[in-house]
Amino acid sequence: MRELALEGDFRLHGRPERDRGSIDLDSISVDGSNLTSRLRFIAPDDGNAYDRTVAAVPLDRPVAPGETISVQLKWRSRVPRPYSRTGAIADYYFIAHWFPKIGVLEAEGWNCHQFHSATEFFADFGVYDVRLTVPAGWILGATGREKDRRDNGDGSTTHHYYQEDVHDFAWTTSPDFVERRARFEHPGLPPADMRLLLQPEHLNQEARHFEATRAALRYYGEWYGPYPYGHVTIVDPAWQSRSGGMEYPTFFTAGTRWLAPEGTTEPEDVTVHEAGHQLWYGVVATNEFEHAWMDEGLTQFSEGRVMGTAFPGRHPSERFFGGFIPWVYRDIRLARETDLNYLAAFRPHAEGDVQSTLTFRQFPGETGYITYFKTALWLNTLERWIGWPKLQTILSTFFHRWAFKHPKPDDFFAIAHDAGVPEWFFDEVHRSSNAFDYAVEELRSWPLPSSDPMFETTVVVRRHGEAVFPVDIRVDFEDGSHQLASFAERSERWKILRYTTKARAVRAQVDPDRVLLLDVNLTNNSLTLEPRATQAARKWSLVWMTWLQDLMLTWASFV
Amino acid sequence: MGPAAAWRAGLGRVRRAPALLFGGWLITIIAAAPAMWAVRSAIEAHLGRSLEAERAADSVNYEWWQEFASQASGPAGTFTPSILGFAAPLGNLSSVADALPLPSGVVAAVGGFVVLQIFLAGGIVDRFARDTRLGSYGFLAACGATFFRLLRLGIIALAIYKLLFMFARPAMDAVQRSWTQDFTVERHAFAAYALTTIAFILVVAAVNLVVDFAKIRLVVEDRRSAIGALASGLRFVARQPLAAAGLYGINVLVFAAVLGLYAIVAPSAAVSGWALVWTLLVMQLFILARLWARLVFVASETALFQSRLAHAWYVARPIPARPAPATVDMSQSRI
Repeated sequence: MRELALEGDFRLHGRPERDRGSIDLDSISVDGSNLTSRLRFIAPDDGNAYDRTVAAVPLDRPVAPGETISVQLKWRSRVPRPYSRTGAIADYYFIAHWFPKIGVLEAEGWNCHQFHSATEFFADFGVYDVRLTVPAGWILGATGREKDRRDNGDGSTTHHYYQEDVHDFAWTTSPDFVERRARFEHPGLPPADMRLLLQPEHLNQEARHFEATRAALRYYGEWYGPYPYGHVTIVDPAWQSRSGGMEYPTFFTAGTRWLAPEGTTEPEDVTVHEAGHQLWYGVVATNEFEHAWMDEGLTQFSEGRVMGTAFPGRHPSERFFGGFIPWVYRDIRLARETDLNYLAAFRPHAEGDVQSTLTFRQFPGETGYITYFKTALWLNTLERWIGWPKLQTILSTFFHRWAFKHPKPDDFFAIAHDAGVPEWFFDEVHRSSNAFDYAVEELRSWPLPSSDPMFETTVVVRRHGEAVFPVDIRVDFEDGSHQLASFAERSERWKILRYTTKARAVRAQVDPDRVLLLDVNLTNNSLTLEPRATQAARKWSLVWMTWLQDLMLTWASFV
Repeated sequence: MGPAAAWRAGLGRVRRAPALLFGGWLITIIAAAPAMWAVRSAIEAHLGRSLEAERAADSVNYEWWQEFASQASGPAGTFTPSILGFAAPLGNLSSVADALPLPSGVVAAVGGFVVLQIFLAGGIVDRFARDTRLGSYGFLAACGATFFRLLRLGIIALAIYKLLFMFARPAMDAVQRSWTQDFTVERHAFAAYALTTIAFILVVAAVNLVVDFAKIRLVVEDRRSAIGALASGLRFVARQPLAAAGLYGINVLVFAAVLGLYAIVAPSAAVSGWALVWTLLVMQLFILARLWARLVFVASETALFQSRLAHAWYVARPIPARPAPATVDMSQSRI
């Protein structure tokens, strides 16, 4: 709650007790020995004495390497009113974070964090063999495959789900779900059964959910590695359930609206995103408490790439009338490199926090921008700088080398270094909060006093931001020719270029190919001697004026 | 006179007063011009000599737009995609229906226009009530003669609307949220929202209707008391609810038709050259059509008021005569 307050979110403070969720551990025994009395809560992250999200139990004796012990836990879980993507509303139940999880034992010791408002989770791989009893006739979906189902004869049904090699287990049930099935098949990739649990009011969006999931499985499979589980469950969450857009092993929630016009990004983007998590979050399984960028950032980048490839030319939309009525801005096409990497959202937070800071220690209000968008932008920058084949090799090597092994940032950087990405790149984008901002500060071109018409041109390029990246500079001349230069000096804040040519210079651009997507100010990247700002300003101010005229008439109709 | 006949009469009166339509349109431009100029200057200054201006001039440069929006303030702070095409009237109506506050950057422009409309309302109602050409002197004389009483009425109306927008609508929203808090079907939540919104709009429309007839009474019967006019407007609506509401309904349908047509023809702004001229022309035609619908609204309500309480073209105040130019009788002078 303290972290939420830092984000300006005080909703939990006023939440009545009956709406809150909890997990109560009744007993814990190890190899038959009851250790419940030894259970004590600890707060390894911040020492918060009120925190009840991590507990430690000292064992009777150390467990030897390779030895197996049997731990039995008895617990009761109270399902909250939906919050943080779990809970129940009306007949819709989405049950996540509902059982005590074992921490991850690493070479450095236990890695087990408290619950944090802005981070997700980390757990070790295991086998989940779960029986869930729900009212008969209710549709149930969960991590894994349903092995069998038993009618209990008392109006309830027990569903038996089983899954190996996953690190979490979530489930959902509702009598309202409409179940649809399809199959993903693509040459060279293992097939997967897709099961969609759809809200009845979204029946017309069945194909869009399957197509988005297919696109994710296909392109992730082709680019990084195959989806190994053979089945996936897509949950279309109920209205107001707050469970949308979340990933669990072999099982994820998408999220759409009753009115979801074609040509926008909804529900495709969230479906591609959460389906994509199945590889980075599900299989590679990085520590999201500490290095959320390794899952969310890679997934955000991949979502943009899949969306740009499979669903190009999408438009932004806005919702009016209580947020129910969508309007699509068909004049605007979303660009993968900027819009789908959320550059506009990232821009005001470019210096918000350092990405290498452990995620749970980052300022809660900044985490999303730094983990999702900054990573997507630097990965896309890398793609444009070293080329997609090299970046694809880096990512697929990372996937194959570290599948099911919980890699850390240095494991990713090591592969990138092997592919030729210099260490300073990660110093800039990962280990600092510096902003990139290159600008053409001056462009002058004037005739020289000589018999032949010759022109002297001066271009001044400045680096306003602290972050450094080698950028190209392009100067275009009236006769169609151009000159290229580069500004790669790490210690310099500015560079001057001088040309004596037969033609007058007309424009100068820094980073003309837009390699550096993290540059927070595109407008200052260029100067022209034939400016059209007046024309553009006239056009857009007149369009704006019509909006204002309409607004004035709207309000004047009241008097 | 029934509502349909009153509407037809209003239509005729607007047709016979083209100067009001085109003058009113020019006034929207004049009133919007200072803010437009501020936005234009802000855009021009931000683009400077950047190449981004080229894309902004020829199409929609969304990336520059977002960059501009992130630092814009004042009127330019409202320069968002919701100004594009049909989103503009849709967004403006949505803001009213949801009782969202007016963006601070345009409060001065909209407030100034509302006051200007209060000033012009007397002349407009007088012109439609007489249905005869008054000339600019007669029109402005009517505006001047009725301005302060209409201003008083406007202030009272504003207070009532403020109560509705600042207290009634949030209270209705709270009821709706409580009612729908366990809804898991968006369509049902939308139905609840629609019901709440329609209820709110009906209340606002009822106030609007009473204020309209109060305004007409102040001008047609040459009354001075705004409170008396409001009471009279209320009585008028209460005694002929079907005619008053029916006429209001017809006018709302006409306005909806204008909006619907614009939704179909609203042109793209991602253009330049002659296509841009066409785009701007269609946008201004929409403003003209919207204004026409509003004038028909006023003219038809005036016609209904006159037909029920007096007779057509009755106005208590005599047509103001232009005073004769000052002269000196030289024949009587002595040197």
